[in-house]
Amino acid sequence: MKLSPTLTSYLQVAPMLLVLLLFFGVPLLVVIAFSFFDFDGINTVPAFVWTNYAELFASKVTLSLYLKTIYYALMVWAITLVVGFTVAYFLVFHVRSILWQMALFLLCTVPFWTSNIIRMISWIPFLGRNGIFNQALMGVGITDEPLEFLLFSDFAVIIAYVHLFTLFMIVPIFNSMARIDRSIIEAAVDAGSSRLRIIWDIIVPLSKTGIALGSIFVITLVMGDFFVVKVMSGSHSASVALAMSNQIAMVQYPPAAASAVVLLIIVGLMVAAILRIVDVRKELAG
Amino acid sequence: MANPAPIRQQYGKRPWTFYVLAAFFALFVAFLYGPMSAIYVLSFQGPTGGLTFPMRGTSLHWFDALFSQQRTGDFAGAFTRSIILALIVLALTVVMSVLAGMAFRRRFPGSTFVFYLAVASLIMPGILIGLGVGLTFQLFDVPTGWYTSALGAQLTWTLPFGLLIMFAVLSRFNRAYEEAGRDLGASHWQIFWLVVVPILLPGIIGVALFGFTLSYDEFPRTLLTAGAQNTLPMEIWGMTTNVTSPALYALGTVTTLVSFIVIALSLGSIAIIQRRRARKPVEDEPRSDSGQK
Amino acid sequence: MEPGKKNATARGSIELAGVTKRFGETVAVRGIDLKIPAGAYCCLLGPSGCGKTTILRMIAGHEQPTEGAVMIDGENVVGEPPVVRGTAMMFQSYALFPHLSCADNIAFNLKVRGVDKAERRERAMQMLARVQMRQFADRLPAQLSGGQQQRIALARALITNPRVLLLDEPLSALDEFLRLQMRGELKRIQNEFGISFIHVTHTQMEAIALADMVVVMDQGHIEQAGTAREVFDRPRTTYVARFMGGQNVLAGIVIERGAGTVTIDSGGKSIVLSAPDPSPAVGASFQIAVRRDRVQLNRANGSAAPLPVNAVSGRVRAIEYQGSWLKITLEEACSEEFVVNQSDSVFFADPLDVGDPVMVQWRPEEVHFLTETK
Repeated sequence: MKLSPTLTSYLQVAPMLLVLLLFFGVPLLVVIAFSFFDFDGINTVPAFVWTNYAELFASKVTLSLYLKTIYYALMVWAITLVVGFTVAYFLVFHVRSILWQMALFLLCTVPFWTSNIIRMISWIPFLGRNGIFNQALMGVGITDEPLEFLLFSDFAVIIAYVHLFTLFMIVPIFNSMARIDRSIIEAAVDAGSSRLRIIWDIIVPLSKTGIALGSIFVITLVMGDFFVVKVMSGSHSASVALAMSNQIAMVQYPPAAASAVVLLIIVGLMVAAILRIVDVRKELAG
Repeated sequence: MANPAPIRQQYGKRPWTFYVLAAFFALFVAFLYGPMSAIYVLSFQGPTGGLTFPMRGTSLHWFDALFSQQRTGDFAGAFTRSIILALIVLALTVVMSVLAGMAFRRRFPGSTFVFYLAVASLIMPGILIGLGVGLTFQLFDVPTGWYTSALGAQLTWTLPFGLLIMFAVLSRFNRAYEEAGRDLGASHWQIFWLVVVPILLPGIIGVALFGFTLSYDEFPRTLLTAGAQNTLPMEIWGMTTNVTSPALYALGTVTTLVSFIVIALSLGSIAIIQRRRARKPVEDEPRSDSGQK
Repeated sequence: MEPGKKNATARGSIELAGVTKRFGETVAVRGIDLKIPAGAYCCLLGPSGCGKTTILRMIAGHEQPTEGAVMIDGENVVGEPPVVRGTAMMFQSYALFPHLSCADNIAFNLKVRGVDKAERRERAMQMLARVQMRQFADRLPAQLSGGQQQRIALARALITNPRVLLLDEPLSALDEFLRLQMRGELKRIQNEFGISFIHVTHTQMEAIALADMVVVMDQGHIEQAGTAREVFDRPRTTYVARFMGGQNVLAGIVIERGAGTVTIDSGGKSIVLSAPDPSPAVGASFQIAVRRDRVQLNRANGSAAPLPVNAVSGRVRAIEYQGSWLKITLEEACSEEFVVNQSDSVFFADPLDVGDPVMVQWRPEEVHFLTETK
């Protein structure tokens, strides 16, 4: 039985498509639907009302939550970009043997395969009042008292994010950089270009796609996070997702759904903005 | 202004920037591994020790406490459940990703839609998917459970990764192999099983690795869709909020160990396969070929 | 399905009748008629894009013609898969399965047909012996050199017992030295197995070294099909004459007719040439070929006397040393460059310099009439 190529493709892609529609597409629509349901604090009634959104936008907390979360996202994005770019640059352009490149690259990726939660928690004994870092500082004599701000603060939250998500910057940028034709760089060197100029004029533009991909990953991960911010700030701070998870825990589904939709739109806008600057379709589609 | 040394020399002295960057890299690695090593060390905390330093003796006390269920929650149960779920996710992800990757080799109407659907699923915050799946099941009055809602929610995270890996692997796949198979009389099925799959095996192992570890470590999607019984990450999450003993760290060490074993097995087998297939060929001799009589 | 099930005493004769292949808007080959005798070594020769690979793949069964018939041993095989029609292909990259040993690669066709393991191994080892690669049976392709891989690829194709073996630029991936060596191998194996070989190449010298029959192609149609000697020594069209090398083409418009001669204007020069019977009319285009090594080169004495029949005059533009001969390129002789291949003993008796005025002459028997390429 010979099938047409198109039909074969449809059959082959069907399982994945089905799963994605059932567990992504449909739930998304359901969330959107729920965001319009009527909720009086206890009961949820299917309807089409804007009250959930109204309450969301009326509340002052909403704005401050978003500002805080976006602040986290931008800070983390900036730091992971610098760190990720530098690490990728080092691996691609300064490590000579392919074997070492691979080995060091793996070294960076291995932590990714272990649980995020454990990695996040591991900062607590490290940064705490009696933690290793403080003890080291005091031991060396830089401070007399343990630094309080290290843990359960914005600082801790951002450090944890950077720890968890830098890899998402490194991998795409590494990929983009590795594809750069070396003879272009050699030609620039022959023409007398300085290293800095080469980085700025050649390497950065040619790694655009990797930077864009990494940025998309990091920003969506931070914007959607609720557990890192809770633990590392010692519940002092909050994020949009955290507020949402609280609402879910209290079975306040329609408001949570409205929150979710707004979050989705904001994140969507941020991603779209990045995609307008850099077209990543070519890179992803292979 | 002219630069005295090129960025990359094959031989000779390395520019000073190399040392600076190498130091930066070393710091980065320390940054990555340092805190976790604190956990590993602390998990061997003595019986009277607390959550932070200083260490009060060393023991396996907390590992022991881990396996006795009462005080520290149902670790063994969560562990077993997580592994089983991860294995199922692995299998499904491999099968679906390989098939879908094959599908995308041709253009078909709607391929762009499926592609963007997968990418959107990838960058969607987990909690949104968890919420959505939970609500959907509630809407249709189906109870959430491991092998239904949790499985599905995790797949929305692993499938896009699997698809992207297959893209990368298939784009480098030389179609001549398939044609050679056809030329030698193999049917489509035979070509798939005897030629395509074996050659793509390293990539498929990669998909399996992603499928397993992403499931095993997954938290936000599973949290809202697992129903009554916890996965391991959920268990840990529960412990962070109400457990005050180094048993938590012992748990961290054990889960990491499992992850390392899985990684080592996967990467090791990939390395073995690659090395066997890509050994440097013997140079042809100008005078006479070594195969001549 | 048994490979090569149509058995015949003379195996592997091929005929293409009116074969056209379109890819969307593009026509790759157009109205091809070609007959290749059984057991011949045939080379399809031409530049990139001329359609030679398309024809190869249509004979192989990896492409189907849009129009026309492909016949092997008299039977139309269009629509049949490769193994049923009795063809086997050797790919440019060899396409040896990297995960299988040499013996398993060779035995692949047998495995696919369900032959049991012991017999598969036995027959693969026999084939390995025939290509003198027995000791590489359990090695992986990556551990072999280019020449060794080619032998395995050949063995893998030949074990299917084909009547026609198709080779897609088999020597292009090899370096110069190896290429010459492997050429001999291919010819030897073809003689030994006695089946038809169809070999696609863009290298003229390779084609005439190997082939019983050379098919010169350009832009989807056949310019000339004949023996190597015919194609080189007696090209039929200006394209073939120029493509094969070794010939000078003199082309122009007839301005005068004489007794057994015509005078043409070629690039502003008046050249008198032997003419065929009946000779072309004034105003018609006329073109001949004359072998580069069958002419006589002399220094010009500077006189303004008109040129004799079958002669051109010009100036040396370049001299290239090629070992036993020298390639002397002239300018201002006719509408295109004129080349003289002179033996080194003759040249060094009185070496020329760039810029020297010269005259070139040849005997009437060396004139070869061409038709214009359509």
